[in-house]
Amino acid sequence: MLAFEDNQNICIGTIENTSSSPVYLSSGTSPVPPHLPRLHPLKPSPLLSPSNSFLPPIDSQLRNNLLDLPRCGFPRNLSSSNSCSSCWNCGSVGPTSGAFLACGSCGAVQPVDSSVDYFQIFGMKKMYEIEEGDLEGIYKDWQKKLHPDLVHSKSEKEKGFAAEQSARVIDAYRTLKNPLSRALYLLKLEQIHVDEEKTVSDPDLLMEMMEMREAVEEAKDTQSLYEIQSKVKKKLDSWSNSFKEAFSKQDFDSAVNCTQRMKYYERALEEITKKL
Amino acid sequence: MLRLALKRSLRLGPAVSDTPSAAMVASRGYHERVVDHYNNPRNVGSFDKEDPNVGTGLVGAPACGDVMKLQIKVDEDSGKIVDACFKTFGCGSAIASSSVATEWVKGKQMEEVLTIKNTEIAKHLSLPPVKLHCSMLAEDAIKAAVKDYELKKAKAAPKQE
Repeated sequence: MLAFEDNQNICIGTIENTSSSPVYLSSGTSPVPPHLPRLHPLKPSPLLSPSNSFLPPIDSQLRNNLLDLPRCGFPRNLSSSNSCSSCWNCGSVGPTSGAFLACGSCGAVQPVDSSVDYFQIFGMKKMYEIEEGDLEGIYKDWQKKLHPDLVHSKSEKEKGFAAEQSARVIDAYRTLKNPLSRALYLLKLEQIHVDEEKTVSDPDLLMEMMEMREAVEEAKDTQSLYEIQSKVKKKLDSWSNSFKEAFSKQDFDSAVNCTQRMKYYERALEEITKKL
Repeated sequence: MLRLALKRSLRLGPAVSDTPSAAMVASRGYHERVVDHYNNPRNVGSFDKEDPNVGTGLVGAPACGDVMKLQIKVDEDSGKIVDACFKTFGCGSAIASSSVATEWVKGKQMEEVLTIKNTEIAKHLSLPPVKLHCSMLAEDAIKAAVKDYELKKAKAAPKQE
């Protein structure tokens, strides 16, 4: 538990174990968790009262350190970093790293900032190889804070923010979960424009795809379909690795080529799934 | 009437499912001609690739993973296309575009078919803007087939002399 003092309130908060360390501010309008005492701006804080029995006495050293915290509740050296957007509701500053989708202090959903990319929303590095298993957990955590169904008691403005943020998080989740869409998104972030209209006439590639699709169509039973499916999946994986290499070397032409192949294999897999 | 069909087809949804029906026209807005070509495809099939009178055009659209094969059978003496067939893996619009292409090239001279424009195919099928690349694919397939035939002819010619 921490406490700090500003002009009006002495606030009690808990430090979460993220680098952004939002501190809970008790203002007049935002809800106070039940386990913390409700503070009135004008009444003296129970913290200062010597008869306070339910709070541990504040160490003077700790108090001095905490008084160094600026109004927004962050240590000064952190708050000097760039792009500190603040909450429209309580004014507390957003995290210095990571996406500011909902205020850590008052819980208010923030308007969509489209400069925040999908990787930032999930707190992941902007690269092809990610921990796909982590995606679902982070996704659900965000939806607990952002989903429109959970903000039905809030203002129209906030409901609107929630709808947009929630939709954006869903897009981010879907894009990052599927390797091909993740690859295409990475290329997009690098400003590599893939000309969708252009036709390709690489005979080897097309012949292979033609034969693959024909095999799927002519497959007589599920066994043969599964066989084809595993072959196609292997090829998809191998081209996925090729993309990873090409992208890390910034060889964007090869990277685009890889995504095109991946698209064809994915298409074949879709057809197999339909047939199964 | 064309405008009405265009309006309807502008509500075009994603790629066609396996079971097209009258409902498709009403709810998704595919033009009647596209549905017709999908349900009653003309000229689906394959010619022998090795046949010297056959030109094979194989093209693909990487954005949607479509593959289109268009083959022409050319009469050696007159240079006229006597038969054509196609095989397309893709959406309804792509299938319809290639089907239309095979119909249009039959009975025409090779030089003539090179002037077939994707915009004509698109107009004929009332394709919405998002599906224009399918007609482009068909145009490219025709050109590729003609090119392939001419390459074959050029390779074969020295042997005959």
